[in-house]
Amino acid sequence: MKLFLGWFYPELMSTYGDRGNIIALSYWAKILGIDLEVCPISLNDPYEKILKMDILFMGGAQDKQQEIVSKDLKNGKSKALKKAIEAGVCGLFVCGAYQFLGRYYKAADGTKIPGLSIFDLYTENPGESFPRLIGDIGIKTKIAKDEIVVGFENHGGRTYLSNKNLAFGEVIFGFGNNGKDKTEGIFYKNTIGTYLHGPILPKNPKVTFFLLEKAIERKYKRKILVKKFDEEWEKKAREIVIRKKRD
Amino acid sequence: MVFYLSIILGKLVAFLNYILKIGAGSTWPGHLALIFDKNFLKKIFKKNPHLQTIVVTGTNGKTTTVALLKYLLEKKGYQVFTNKEGANLLNGIASSLIKNANFLGKIEKQVAIFEADEFNFPLIIKEFSPNIVLILNLFRDQLDRYGEVNTIASRWLLALKNLSPKTLVFLNGDDPNLYYLGKNISSFVFYFGLEKSKMPYKNLPFDVDFNYCPVCFHLLSYQKVAYSHLGSFFCQKCGFHQENIFTLSLKNIPFSLFGVYNQYNLTAAFLVLMKGFNFDLSEVFDFVKDFKPAFGRQEKIVYKNRIFYLLLSKNPAGFNQSIEAVTSYFKGQKKFFWLILNNRIPDGRDVSWIFDVEFKKIVFLAKKIFVSGDRAFDMAIRLKYELPNSKKKIIPLIDLKKTLKKILKETKENEAIFVFPNYSAMLEVRKLLVGKKFL
Repeated sequence: MKLFLGWFYPELMSTYGDRGNIIALSYWAKILGIDLEVCPISLNDPYEKILKMDILFMGGAQDKQQEIVSKDLKNGKSKALKKAIEAGVCGLFVCGAYQFLGRYYKAADGTKIPGLSIFDLYTENPGESFPRLIGDIGIKTKIAKDEIVVGFENHGGRTYLSNKNLAFGEVIFGFGNNGKDKTEGIFYKNTIGTYLHGPILPKNPKVTFFLLEKAIERKYKRKILVKKFDEEWEKKAREIVIRKKRD
Repeated sequence: MVFYLSIILGKLVAFLNYILKIGAGSTWPGHLALIFDKNFLKKIFKKNPHLQTIVVTGTNGKTTTVALLKYLLEKKGYQVFTNKEGANLLNGIASSLIKNANFLGKIEKQVAIFEADEFNFPLIIKEFSPNIVLILNLFRDQLDRYGEVNTIASRWLLALKNLSPKTLVFLNGDDPNLYYLGKNISSFVFYFGLEKSKMPYKNLPFDVDFNYCPVCFHLLSYQKVAYSHLGSFFCQKCGFHQENIFTLSLKNIPFSLFGVYNQYNLTAAFLVLMKGFNFDLSEVFDFVKDFKPAFGRQEKIVYKNRIFYLLLSKNPAGFNQSIEAVTSYFKGQKKFFWLILNNRIPDGRDVSWIFDVEFKKIVFLAKKIFVSGDRAFDMAIRLKYELPNSKKKIIPLIDLKKTLKKILKETKENEAIFVFPNYSAMLEVRKLLVGKKFL
């Protein structure tokens, strides 16, 4: 079984260790006997490339990098991306990339930067006098029902969903989308948008499995449900963060 | 009058601190002096016009370069003092000045070298214009604490623009971000770099933080890469490129520290001594081989007949350089590694950055990898994911003492253990191996 993983702008959108998500997907794919090919989608690459992918991923970056990327996405790539996500391609979009897929981002100085309008949400940075939302975060999700998905968040923007039922998770500790309504991220069709770095996938294999399982299901019309696997260390790593929050 | 009282008070606090052995109080004298007299720094510098001041900042290499400058200046007969490690805020600088001044505020020594962290550097050079500013590099480090690289660079630019035009500014010319910074300030700028033949790579690695043209935002091209985004760069679109970079043929200099990053530190120090102090370099080359590394920076500690090499590794660029240095300098046999990852306040709370480090080489070369620290299991996962079937080589144990016991059991006498700790972990492991605190 072969899957193509499209990694958007690895050379620009990789400020917060989110490459770990690619590393985790590749590791588990190998164990599950899936041939996962990682395909960078870079500046000036043709948009058709996106349509061949089974899983899509984009990480976060600094404002300048995001500006460069947003220009590049205009060349047909955003349409292709929208088409793929609407068609149910699996995706993971973290932090800056997550905000990007919303309707708009209002920067700290008030300028409004239009997003790709794939997710029905918007993000506003309330200004320099408001603190960034930084720290460990734990959420309850539908994907990993009996456990807390753990990560680290660091964002100035506050994101608001049009429909709170679309949230990827419910905040157990930490801030989430906006620090107020207990929602975290978005879960739309088979795509996840989230603020969780850490990175999210290595510590939370169930989320990794979801992406791989769904992608296989879509492409090969068959189910591979991962039940038994060695996640001793991943579990301990999560527990350390959770315990610290409880103390 | 307030000025003299500040000095007396500061000295009194330092004295009390010394006899009561409170420890960790080295910044208190300066702290109090600054509360007492806001203009304390300006006044003490005015009183000592002969005092040459150097401020060193950058993400990696500050402590080593400060130590190297001090060492070489002293070899040539200068009297030098520095702010102690960990005391690189304004209060630490004020404390070191009080310590070296008499009750009238007069300082006899001729040179003061201050290490400043990335965040406090602009605040420090706003307080006084040093004679020399040296910026070594700029990488991502503690994003949750310091902010992103571009945020730091724009704060630096603002501060550098306000320096006295007499200040000599030394910048890493192989860092496109810093090179461009130098083009936008009015001080006299010198650039240091490495010879292309000394740069080991053709392509950019993954841990880069600035790989686009600062003029037109096109992706930069590199003829050669030294490490991270340092290298010989140019822009194919607008023609932006490096000029007037000072490089040294370091081939015949017997430097005791290994790794490409230390060649940058050495070149930077040499350029400062040449342009700022009129050194004839051939006179100091010989001294370099006896330079002892600073605490935890390639420091060699013998403990129970095992040799521990401590290589502080606290951000992706630094960690990659530590790995590169060890694997290319100590070739051959399989090795023992000890990785220690904490996430306390001085380390930054976020450990995501370990996924931007290339661990393949050490997982491959390892006989065993011991992993400890508060976030040992994050590191253990990171290593496990690097190479399938590597799990049996990796031994995660949070507690450092237990790990050390385990290491003694698993290693023989005279075997080497390469230790990669981040900041608070380095202090901890050092205390365990040497038996005392050093700050």
